[in-house]
Amino acid sequence: MGTSICSICKGFILVSSSLRRPACSVVAVFASLRCVELPHSTASLCSTFCRIPTSVFSVPSSKEIEATPSRDKMGDTQENDALPRNNPSTEQEIADELDLRMKKYLRGEVANLEVLKDKKLKTQLAVKEELYGKSAKAAAKAEKWLMPSEGGYLEAEGMEKTWRIKQEAIAREVDISSSRKQYDIVLPELGPYTLDFTSSGRYMAVGGRKGHLGIVDMMNLSLIRELQVRETVRDVVFLHNELFFAAAQKKYTYIYNREGTELHCLKEHGPVSRLQFLKNHFLLASINKFGQLHYQDVTMGTMVANFRTGLGRTDVMQVNPFNGVVSLGHSAGTVTMWKPTSSAPIVKMLCHHGPVSALAFHSNGHLMATAGKDKKVKLWDLRKFEVLQTFPGHANTLDFSQKGLLACGNGSLVKVLRDASGTQNYSKYMAHSMVKGYQIGKLVFRPYEDVLGIGHSMGWSSILIPGAGEPNFDSWVANPFETSKQRREKEIRSLLDKLPPETIMLDPSKIGTVKPTRRDKATKQEREAEMEAAVEAAKGKKLKNKTKGRNKAGKRVQKKQEAIARVKRPYLDQNLQEEENISRKKQKASEGVQLPKSLQRFARKKASS
Amino acid sequence: MAEKKRKERDEGNRGRPKKSKKKQNTQRKKSGPRLPSSLRKQLDRLNPTTSLDTIDSDDNNDVYEYEEEQAEEESTKNKRYDPASVHDDLSQEFEDEDVQSDDENEDDDYVRAKNNESDLSEDSGEEDDGRHARMLQGITGMPGEAFEENKKKMKDTVIPELYPESEYNPSRDVVDGDGRISIEDLLNPLRENPGYGKLRKRMQQIEMNARTVHAPLSKAVQAKVERKAAYEISKKDVTKWQHIIQKNREAPTVFFDENVDLGFSTVGAMAADFEPRTEFEKKIAALVNDDKIAEAYRSDGSRLLEMNKVSIEDEKDRQNRMAKMRSLLFRHEMKAKYIKKIKSRTFHRLLKKDRLKAEASQIQMDPEAAKEYAMKQERQRAEERMTLRHKNQNRWAKRILQRGLNSQDEGTRTAIAEQLQRHTELTRKMHSMNDSSSSSDDISDEDDGEKSAGSDQDRAYKLLGKAKEKTMEVLEEEDEVPKSGLLSLPFMRRGLEKRKEVAIEEANLALREYDDSLKNLENSGGPEDPKAASTSGRRVFGMAKAKVSATSNKVKSDKFYGGSDSEDDLGTGKSDNIENGGSELVHKDVTNDLVLIQEDTDTHQDSVFKNFEEIIKNPGPKTTYEVSIFASDTWKKAKNRNEEDKNIKKSTKVTRPVRQHIKDTEKESREEDSDTDSEGQMVDGILSSVSKESYELPSQEELIRQAFAGDDVEDDFERDKQEILNEENPEPEKPLSLPGWGQWTHVQQKKGPSPWMLKKHEDAKIKREEDLKKRKDAQLKNVIISEKIDKKAEKLHTKALPFPFTSKEVFEQSMRVPIGPEFNPATAIGALNRPEVVKRPGVIIKPIEFEDVNPHEKQEQRSGEKQKSKKNKGIGGKPMKKTNKLKAKN
Repeated sequence: MGTSICSICKGFILVSSSLRRPACSVVAVFASLRCVELPHSTASLCSTFCRIPTSVFSVPSSKEIEATPSRDKMGDTQENDALPRNNPSTEQEIADELDLRMKKYLRGEVANLEVLKDKKLKTQLAVKEELYGKSAKAAAKAEKWLMPSEGGYLEAEGMEKTWRIKQEAIAREVDISSSRKQYDIVLPELGPYTLDFTSSGRYMAVGGRKGHLGIVDMMNLSLIRELQVRETVRDVVFLHNELFFAAAQKKYTYIYNREGTELHCLKEHGPVSRLQFLKNHFLLASINKFGQLHYQDVTMGTMVANFRTGLGRTDVMQVNPFNGVVSLGHSAGTVTMWKPTSSAPIVKMLCHHGPVSALAFHSNGHLMATAGKDKKVKLWDLRKFEVLQTFPGHANTLDFSQKGLLACGNGSLVKVLRDASGTQNYSKYMAHSMVKGYQIGKLVFRPYEDVLGIGHSMGWSSILIPGAGEPNFDSWVANPFETSKQRREKEIRSLLDKLPPETIMLDPSKIGTVKPTRRDKATKQEREAEMEAAVEAAKGKKLKNKTKGRNKAGKRVQKKQEAIARVKRPYLDQNLQEEENISRKKQKASEGVQLPKSLQRFARKKASS
Repeated sequence: MAEKKRKERDEGNRGRPKKSKKKQNTQRKKSGPRLPSSLRKQLDRLNPTTSLDTIDSDDNNDVYEYEEEQAEEESTKNKRYDPASVHDDLSQEFEDEDVQSDDENEDDDYVRAKNNESDLSEDSGEEDDGRHARMLQGITGMPGEAFEENKKKMKDTVIPELYPESEYNPSRDVVDGDGRISIEDLLNPLRENPGYGKLRKRMQQIEMNARTVHAPLSKAVQAKVERKAAYEISKKDVTKWQHIIQKNREAPTVFFDENVDLGFSTVGAMAADFEPRTEFEKKIAALVNDDKIAEAYRSDGSRLLEMNKVSIEDEKDRQNRMAKMRSLLFRHEMKAKYIKKIKSRTFHRLLKKDRLKAEASQIQMDPEAAKEYAMKQERQRAEERMTLRHKNQNRWAKRILQRGLNSQDEGTRTAIAEQLQRHTELTRKMHSMNDSSSSSDDISDEDDGEKSAGSDQDRAYKLLGKAKEKTMEVLEEEDEVPKSGLLSLPFMRRGLEKRKEVAIEEANLALREYDDSLKNLENSGGPEDPKAASTSGRRVFGMAKAKVSATSNKVKSDKFYGGSDSEDDLGTGKSDNIENGGSELVHKDVTNDLVLIQEDTDTHQDSVFKNFEEIIKNPGPKTTYEVSIFASDTWKKAKNRNEEDKNIKKSTKVTRPVRQHIKDTEKESREEDSDTDSEGQMVDGILSSVSKESYELPSQEELIRQAFAGDDVEDDFERDKQEILNEENPEPEKPLSLPGWGQWTHVQQKKGPSPWMLKKHEDAKIKREEDLKKRKDAQLKNVIISEKIDKKAEKLHTKALPFPFTSKEVFEQSMRVPIGPEFNPATAIGALNRPEVVKRPGVIIKPIEFEDVNPHEKQEQRSGEKQKSKKNKGIGGKPMKKTNKLKAKN
């Protein structure tokens, strides 16, 4: 991409994030301004990208800031570990740590093999468990030794509060490459912007309400492509990689490739208000103006599902990254969760008394944050469907970071909450206020970076939130430094590993288990009823008329009784057996209780008599 | 076995001291005078009773014996034994001895006592002998002394051995002497010898130390003991394998990947290394590898090729010819296809005409062809006339017809049907021959419409006229009422009359109809209107259609009336009436039907209709429609409830959200407007203008409204939940008594539903309650969790517990850890996913070999090996070059 320093730049406005603050009176005009002019952009458009060296800002009080930017800053010397670094002498500690980590990889308790009667199975399972243990140990070791970077958070000393620390102060302390990640892009004409990142965090798609679409490479902040579609753009979302993205436009949804070529027009979706892409299933989910939810398979192009929610129009939609369940927030204060294989919502919960304005999911799938117009932000435990916490305040947009920070945006204010204690007890962590009058439309954490992207009415901005991103990336999962070859390979692999839409369910760990049955056993009453019915049937049966001598009334009665007894028998047997089982259990229980020695002989006597 | 035993007994016999010499002697005595053996044999043959006697005496004498032995040897059945030896007493003797040799000491006394007894009996035996001698004296006339002497002499005389000495033929001294030879007997002659004392002492010692030998156990017990011993041994032998087998069983994977050179891998390599071994193979190899033959073959081949030479011109010619033929064929085929595709009737007719013409011309031109044709025709005709199968004139057909077709079975009926069909075919042929001109007319008719209309009209006219005539005939015709038979019975007559009346009525109706249609025809024909002409053809068709519809309606009406009064006999007649009533009646029927249906629906679905009506009557459907697109659920529901309750108060409340939503819609539209505006702007190319109204801070009023918008959200949700619960766990139907079902009189109604119904209902209710309690969202007020089973996702679950598992929990626990490469470090995947048997292709699995395995240390070893193998895999990526475990330990 030919970039040149632009000398013909028209009026652009540079606003630092501190402009609003009266304390900082210095408005910097930068000499070293890099303007990128794009050869293919329309004549009417000239977008500007500017990076603001944060060193310009003067911070009123010098604070010790402990920030740990993520791992791509290799030369980072400021890194200060929140976790205690291991001393080489303490092997015990290392072992303990490994044990702790192993637990995570063992994925739950080891089955109690002592219960098993089958010896063969027992040994087999024991061998299996041993292998699992080894695997977990290896994984723990790898995690311990092969993941060099560790995340860290802002830590305040004494009277300081972390949320008082301004972006400028952070920028002053961090290295240059990180400080470059603070910037505001001001594009006032094309309306509020919405953002989306690829899963690796390398690329960002921006969509201006009034038809401005663009893809930005976040590594070097170069604009890859921008285009003007000249109609309302309500949402943009990347498909499986940066090569394709979908934009919900005024009438239809379109899929563009990286070069900005329109590839598909998805007419079936209708006027879509919100888009989501399910990475593992290759499904593009959309909710349109009429409250219809569509799932389209982007590999084959088939429409997997098309449901009418019947709950009115909404533009609150979020995928639970853990299980692929799509959640919608409705104006009645309900949140519904959908999967492509059932036309009715699998879960419908009343979260707010007013309309739901925003939704977000923690990456572990257990936590959900909702914001309502009733001036409340709620945290939900999705395992129990209960409220964990309720915060006062509005939020237009919510987002969880990879590390579990929750960002709420309202008006021109961004608030970041953090689960400091690890007990899902969120508290205020950071705050950032934009220039007054900016309306925040969308907050997105950039994966693998301590960066929060803010799409607002005057363009978009990016601020540093220490400890937001996952410090270590797994190149098999998402690689920010991916080469094109790797990307191609990954595309093929992910296509081969594509999950069918049926695998979307509330608890995906249930896959492979025994099919859930409606009812496991007939209750006693039912059995009795059954028996009675059978007896009735036996009574009702007409006996054959025998020959003259054999047709005695007494015999007939006897035969009838016999028939009834025969019918009854299996039920009675079953009852008997159950009683026996119960008594056996009782016996076992009583055996289990050891009497004191002096009393044992009495117990024996009792048993004998 | 028997032989063996016998031998043993023999040996025992020989070494035994003789105890009953006397007895032997006496028994010998009874044999009487000494005779030559030949004479004796003769004598034996003459009176076998003697032998039998001896047997009897033996029986008396015997104390113990093996019964079977005795039977075998003494009974003369078996001729294997020498009779003399059989009757010899030695066998008995040794039997006795045998018992004694097996001796139980307690028995000894008894035996002795017996012997004494036998001694007594011997005395009597001597008496016997005396008598015998006297008898002999009497017979022979010789003095008794001769016999006595002879007897005495017998001791001294040497009997020539006729038979070799054997157990059946004991040596002379044994026979004659006093029973057996004891050791003392043997020792006595040695008394003078110098070492005698020593020998005697030793013998005494032996006698002193004599041990008793236990009696052999019975067969079964012995076998049991043997088996037991054998089992112990084999058990010992087998248990040594246990550890090995257990180890292999417990091993998650068994390796058979020895590093064996498998030799050849390809067929070519195998063939190259082939060496002929058998004669045949050698012969073949010699032939194959013979240079001369190969050479000859090569040269011959070339020569053959030379012989095969064809000139280029010839080949070209041939090719050309072939190509020509092929193209001709192709063209012909294409033409045929083309012709076949042509659908024009005229074309085909012309074609056919051509063909016929050609044939006719041929017939004319060629007298022979004509003759042939004539012959053919004649033959055909003759055949048809000969068979005449198509006419029901033969005896069989007549008979069947006489008996009535209905009483026939399926086969005959079909046969008759076939005949009839053939007949119709033939007659049609005839008719067609006759009407060939008219058919051609028809064809021409098709070509021009006007003509056809006219002719059609004519035909219809004619037809109608004919029909009319016929009906008139029928009307005028007087039926002759049969005076006898079934039909003469009064009720039959009455029925006939009735039917006749009906028929007359019918005929009248038909007549009227004909008249009408005739009139119509005349009318249509009169004005000569082209339109009418064009439609007239249709009209005929229309009539036909009406008829058809009438018939179809008739069926309907039949059904209808049949349903209403099926019991009535006259019903059919009535229906007939109606059938003939014509189209008007049918129309009525239809209308009636409709009315009835309507009534039905009214009665059944009154409520539904009312609902609809209500809905229709409800004011403001327009607004609802307009807003409903954008309206939230709450509003809709509020409205519904409003309708239900007819509550005025609430309606005011409702209006508020409506207004709000209307406002929302306005906003939306404004947005859209702005969109369009912006579009316009962009088209103009002006982009600098900032949108002004989009981001205002919401006013206080709006905020309040927003806050109160979802006031009754909770109620709505509860109602929603109830609905879903009702849907997923439907409430049991109330016990309903269907009208006419289970009620004879009004008893049921008075009583109300029967108790079993009530009980069922109660049970269902209880069950529903339980089900509701069991639901996941039973305790969660504000959550609805769907309990619907996702059928598509069912395939992702196992239907039943897999075999070795007995509890679901254990199974699910064992499945909790994923084993894929995405979830595990690369070092662990191999072990997690290793198959049960690791084997290189081509490796022969040898039978297991024995090795000493320490059961306690094996596990460590195994794990070590596993790791080794893992390393191999990890590093090389090659198949594991690991020696077999068994081998390694050896």
